[in-house]
Amino acid sequence: MNVNESIVVVLAASAIFYGTPLVFAAVGELLAERSGVLNLGVEGMMLMGAVTAFWAVQHLSGPDWLALMLATLIGGAAALAVSTIHAILVVGLRANQIVSGLALTIFAGGTGLSSYIGNVARLGGKPAQHEFGAINVIGLADVPVLGPILFHQNALVYGSWALVILALAYLYRTRTGLHLRSVGESPQTADVMGVNVARYRYAHTLAGGLLAGIGGAYFSLAITPNWIDGMTSGAGWIAIALVIFAFWRPELTLVGAYLFGIFSSLGFVLQARQVHLPPEVFASLPYVMTVVVLVVVSTGWAKQRLGAPAALGTPYVREER
Amino acid sequence: MRSITKRFPGVLANDSVDFEASEGEVHALLGENGAGKSTLASILTGLYRPDEGEIAIYGRKVEFHSPRDAMAAGVSMVHQHFRLAASLTVSDNIVLGDNRAGWLRTSPKTIESQVDELATRYRMPVHPRARIWQLSVGEQQRVEILKALYRGARVLILDEPTALLTPQEAEDLFETLRRMTAEGRTIVFVSHKLEELMAVSDRVTVLRAGRLIGTVNTTETSPPQLAKMMVGREIVFAQFKDGHAPAGSEVVLELRNVSADGDLGIQAVSDVSLRLLAGEIVGVAGVSGNGQRQLAEVISGTRPRTAGDILVSGRSLRSGDPGQAIARGVAHVPEDRLGTGVSPSLSIADNLILKSHRRAPISTRGILRHDRITANAKDLMTRFAISAPGAETPTRLLSGGNVQKVVLARELSSAPKVIVAANPTRGLDVGATEGVRSLLIKAASDGVGILLISEDLDEILSLADRIAVMYEGRIVGILARAAADVQHLGLMMAGSSP
Amino acid sequence: MRIERRLTTPRWLALAVPVASLVAAFAASSVVLLAAGKDPIAIYLRLFDRAFFASGALTSTFVTATPLLLTGLAAAAAFRMRLWNIGGEGQLYLGAVGASGVGLVLRDQSGIVIIAGMILGGLFSGAAWAVIPGLLRAYFNTNEIITTLMLNYVASLLLSYLIFDSQSFWRELSTFSARAFPQGKVLPDAAMWPSFNIGIAIVPFGLVVGIAVAALWWLFYGSTSFGFKARVLGDSPSAARYAGIQTRRVVVAMMALSGALAGLGGASEIGDFRHVLDPRGLQQAGLGYAGIVVAALARYNPYAVVVVAVLLGGLANAGYSLQGPDFPAGLVGVLQGMILFFALGGELLLRYRVTFGARRAAPPRALSIAAGPAGVSGP
Repeated sequence: MNVNESIVVVLAASAIFYGTPLVFAAVGELLAERSGVLNLGVEGMMLMGAVTAFWAVQHLSGPDWLALMLATLIGGAAALAVSTIHAILVVGLRANQIVSGLALTIFAGGTGLSSYIGNVARLGGKPAQHEFGAINVIGLADVPVLGPILFHQNALVYGSWALVILALAYLYRTRTGLHLRSVGESPQTADVMGVNVARYRYAHTLAGGLLAGIGGAYFSLAITPNWIDGMTSGAGWIAIALVIFAFWRPELTLVGAYLFGIFSSLGFVLQARQVHLPPEVFASLPYVMTVVVLVVVSTGWAKQRLGAPAALGTPYVREER
Repeated sequence: MRSITKRFPGVLANDSVDFEASEGEVHALLGENGAGKSTLASILTGLYRPDEGEIAIYGRKVEFHSPRDAMAAGVSMVHQHFRLAASLTVSDNIVLGDNRAGWLRTSPKTIESQVDELATRYRMPVHPRARIWQLSVGEQQRVEILKALYRGARVLILDEPTALLTPQEAEDLFETLRRMTAEGRTIVFVSHKLEELMAVSDRVTVLRAGRLIGTVNTTETSPPQLAKMMVGREIVFAQFKDGHAPAGSEVVLELRNVSADGDLGIQAVSDVSLRLLAGEIVGVAGVSGNGQRQLAEVISGTRPRTAGDILVSGRSLRSGDPGQAIARGVAHVPEDRLGTGVSPSLSIADNLILKSHRRAPISTRGILRHDRITANAKDLMTRFAISAPGAETPTRLLSGGNVQKVVLARELSSAPKVIVAANPTRGLDVGATEGVRSLLIKAASDGVGILLISEDLDEILSLADRIAVMYEGRIVGILARAAADVQHLGLMMAGSSP
Repeated sequence: MRIERRLTTPRWLALAVPVASLVAAFAASSVVLLAAGKDPIAIYLRLFDRAFFASGALTSTFVTATPLLLTGLAAAAAFRMRLWNIGGEGQLYLGAVGASGVGLVLRDQSGIVIIAGMILGGLFSGAAWAVIPGLLRAYFNTNEIITTLMLNYVASLLLSYLIFDSQSFWRELSTFSARAFPQGKVLPDAAMWPSFNIGIAIVPFGLVVGIAVAALWWLFYGSTSFGFKARVLGDSPSAARYAGIQTRRVVVAMMALSGALAGLGGASEIGDFRHVLDPRGLQQAGLGYAGIVVAALARYNPYAVVVVAVLLGGLANAGYSLQGPDFPAGLVGVLQGMILFFALGGELLLRYRVTFGARRAAPPRALSIAAGPAGVSGP
C-alpha cells in the first residue's frame, strides 16, 4: 500500500473535502456577524442553495465547467434572496434576530421551501447531469502525501481557499473592511464617524446568504451528486458554531472546518480499518469542543482579545438629534 | 456662537448663550452639572441642533447636521466617554470613517507613518498597532486627540478631559494643548475643576442654570471668584432642619477607609471614612462624576468594595451583598429610579414589595399573599399620595415624581436604619421635590440616619446637618451646616481648598 | 419613516396584529402555490378540513399538538426571561431517554407507578440537560444560544448511540431480527399513558398535563415568591440585583424549569404515542424547534401557546396526511415560516409607533441634563 493510501493522508484529504461547504457557510456567517447580525438561518439557506443549484444543473447544458459554475451561482443567488427576508426583518424592522433566524431555517429548510421545490420539480432520485470532480492540479496529484491532500481536490475547494484569502484581505486591509469591523464592534462610534450602519448590515447579511448558498450547492453538486431532502444534515448549525470556534477570523474557519471534516469522516475511515469506536463519540467532539471554547471566550480576558463583535445580536437604534 | 438656545422636554438647557473663542487660545467652559456646558459643547460639535441662535466658524456662518459636518469644518470633540472601538487598533480608530483618500485601498504602512508623524510632532507617543483595550486611559485619550488632529481639527473641544487621568497624565495633556495652540488651533476646555482651569486656560466662560454668567480673562480672576460665579445663588427653599442629630444617638452607619472601583476599573471611591448618626442627615455634595454613585452602590451592596469596612449599627456588612444590606436595614433610593429603583413593567403593588417579597407578612412559605400585597399597596399609596389609575398600573407609566414616591414609599416603609438617597429630587417638579424633602426630614426625625447624596447644593444646604464634599473619590472635608458657606463649598467641590 | 418606542400596547392591537399576520402569511403563501400551478383556496380548505373537521382529524391534531404544547411552554418560559434556550430539542430527547429508561426498569410495577416514574424521569433528564448551559450562563456568562444548540447535537448523537451503536439497556436484543435491525425495547402495556374520550376527539394525557401546566403558570409567576423573582429578573436585571435577588440562582432554576418541560414533552412522546425509544422518529420530527415557533407566535403567553400549539399541530397534521403530488412536503414549513415572518414584522408595530413624514426639528426624549448628552447611542 503506498503512502498516499495511508490512513493519515486519506483522512486529511477527506477532511478538506467534507469541510469545504462549512468554510463557505462559516465565512459568510462570519461577515454577517461582523456587522452585528446573527443569522441562525444558515441551515435553511444552505438547503436552498443545494436544491436550486441541483435544479439548475439538471436544466443546463453545455460544457461541464460552465454549467457547474452557473449552477453554483444560482444556488448562491437563491439563498441570498431568502436571506433578504431576515435582513429586512432584523435590520429594517428591528425584529428579534434569534427568532427570525430560526424562522428562516424552518421556512427554507428541510420541511420548508427547499423541500417543496425539490418535490415539485421532482428532483429526487436522479443523479446530477454535471458534478464537481477532482481536478489534477498541474499534474501534482500523485506527489507523496501532499498530492492527494492539496492537489487533487475539486474546484470549489480551491475556491474556498481563495475566499478565505480574499476575506482576510477585505477585513484587515481595506477601508470597507475596517468600517465593517467598527459597525459590529461599536455601531455608535461607526455612526458618528459617518459609516452607514444599516447599509453595512444589509450588505453583509446578504453576502452571508450568498456564501451559505454556495456551501449548500457543494452538497448537491460535489458530495453526493444527487438531491435528497434535508441533505446538509445540520452543516448549517455547525457553521454557526464554527464562526465562534474560529474567533471570527476567516483563516481559522479553515482550521475548524477541516477539524469538523476529520471528525465526520473519521468514523467511516476507522471502521474500514476495523477499528471500532462508536462513531457518535467522534461526531460529538466538535460540539463539545465548541462549548468549551465558548466558555473560554466568554470570560472577560479572552473576550477582548479574541471575542465576538461587541454589538452582535442587538438592533441599532439611533437616538434623535 | 450667538444666542444659542436649546430646549429639552422640561428643561431649558441653554438660554440664549453667547460664546466665542479666538485662534490660538485655550478657552475654558465652567459650570456645575446642569449648567448647560456639555449641551453647548455638543451643539458646537454637531451632536445637537440649536433651537435658536447661530454658529460661525472663522466668521462664516455654519449649520451642522451631524458630527461629520462639524469635523469637516474643523471642529472635533474629545468626549468624556471615549468613542473608540475597543478591539480595533489605534490606527484603525484614527482612520475610521475617513473617506478622503481612495476608495478601497488602505495601506497600513502609510497610516502608521502618518500617525507616527503626528504623534511625534505633538509628543504623544502611541503604538499604532496596539489595540484600544490594551491602552491606559491617558493613552486612549491621546488616540482620541490624534483622531481629531488627523482630520485637521482647528477647534478641539475637550469634555472633562482630566476626569480619568492621573496628575502626571494631566500634565502631559496640558503640554500637548500648549503645543496645539502655538500652531494657532483653538481649544475649548469644558471642566468644573478650578485649579486646572486657572493653570491652563486663557479665558473662562461661566455658565449657570443654562445662562451665561460671564466671560473673564484668567489672569484677571481667582478661584474664589469663579466659584462664586459658578455656584452663588440665593437659597430658594426655606425648609430647614434643626441642624443636628438628637443627643446620644447611636452610629447607624460607619464607613472605614472604603475604596471601590468604577465600571472602567479605575478607583472611583478612595479611602472614604464617614459616620452617620441616627436621626442625622449628612449631605454629600459634589459635582457628578466624583464617585458619588459608586459610593451609594457600595453602601447598598450592589457594588463590591476593594478595601475598607462598612458597618451598620456596629455590624459589618459583606461586600457586594445587597440582600444582606437590605436585611440589616439599609435602604437605597437610587439615582436611576426607572432603570434600577423599580421594575418598570411590573405593577405599583409589585414594586412596593420589591424587596419585601421574600419575607412574612408578604409571603409565607414561598407563596405570596395577594391580600396583604393589595392592602400594603392601598396603604402606601394613600400615605404617600401616589397618584395613579390603580395599584395594578405598570410603574413605567407613572410620572417621574410618582415613580420616586413609589421608591420612597417602599424604602421608608421597610423601617430602615439608614437611607442612602442619591439625587432624590433630580428631574422632579417643585411640588414633588417638596414632598420628597419633607419625607426625608420626617424620616430623620423618626430616628433614621440619612445619607443624602446630591448635586443640588440648595438641597443639601436646606436639609443636611453636616455636609461632606466629595471630589475625585475622596471626602475632602466635612462641615457642620452652620459653618458652611457656599463659596467655601464651591471651592471644595472644584478641588481647590483655601 | 420614523420609529418611536411605545409606552403601552393597546389591547386591540395585541390581538389584531397576530391575526393579521396569519392572514398575511396565508396570502403570501398563496403566491408560492400559484407559482407552482396549484389552487391555494382549495388547498387551504383541504388543510383545515384535514386538520380539524374531518373525522378523526381532531384526534390526530391533538397527537401532533401535544409535544408542541410542551416544548412551546418550555421555550416560552425561558424566552420570557430573555434566556434563549434553543435546546428544547435536546432536552426533549433526554426526557425521552429518561422516561423510557424508567418505564423499562419499572416494567413490573402498576400503571400508576410506571407513569409517575416516567413523568419524573422525563422532568429530571430534561432539566439536567438544560442546567448545564444554565450554569455556564449564570457563572461564566457564556452565550446560551450556542451552548444549548450544541447540546442538541450531542443529545441527538446520544440517542442514536443508545439504539444504533451500542448494546445499551434501551436496545432490544432478544430476537435475531432486532439485533440485525436495531430498535429499542418496547415499553410494557402498563406504561401506556391514558387518554380521554371527549366525544369529538380523544385527548392524550400529555395534552392534559400541558394544559394544566399552562393553567398553573400564572399561579407560579404571580403567586410564588420565586415566580416574583423571575418576573423581576426578566423585566430588569439591574432592578433584580438592587432588590437583593440572587440572579444566578434564578437563571439556573429557570433553565432547569424550561428543560424539564421539554423533557416532559419527550416523556409524552414515549408514553402517549411511541412506546419505544425511536431515535429516527424523534430526530425527524424537530419538535423542540417547532416549540420555539409556537412560543414566538404566542408571544410567550401560556394560554396563547395552547391555542397556537393546536393550530400549528393541525397544520402539521394536515400536511402529513395530505402529502402527495398535489400537496408536496415542504408546504407546511413554508407556511409556518411565513406566519412567523409576518408575526415578527408585526412585532414592530406592537413595540414601536411608526410614523411617516418629514423630519421635524423635534427635541429628543427627556434627557436629564445633569447626566450630560447621551449623544448617539443604542437602546
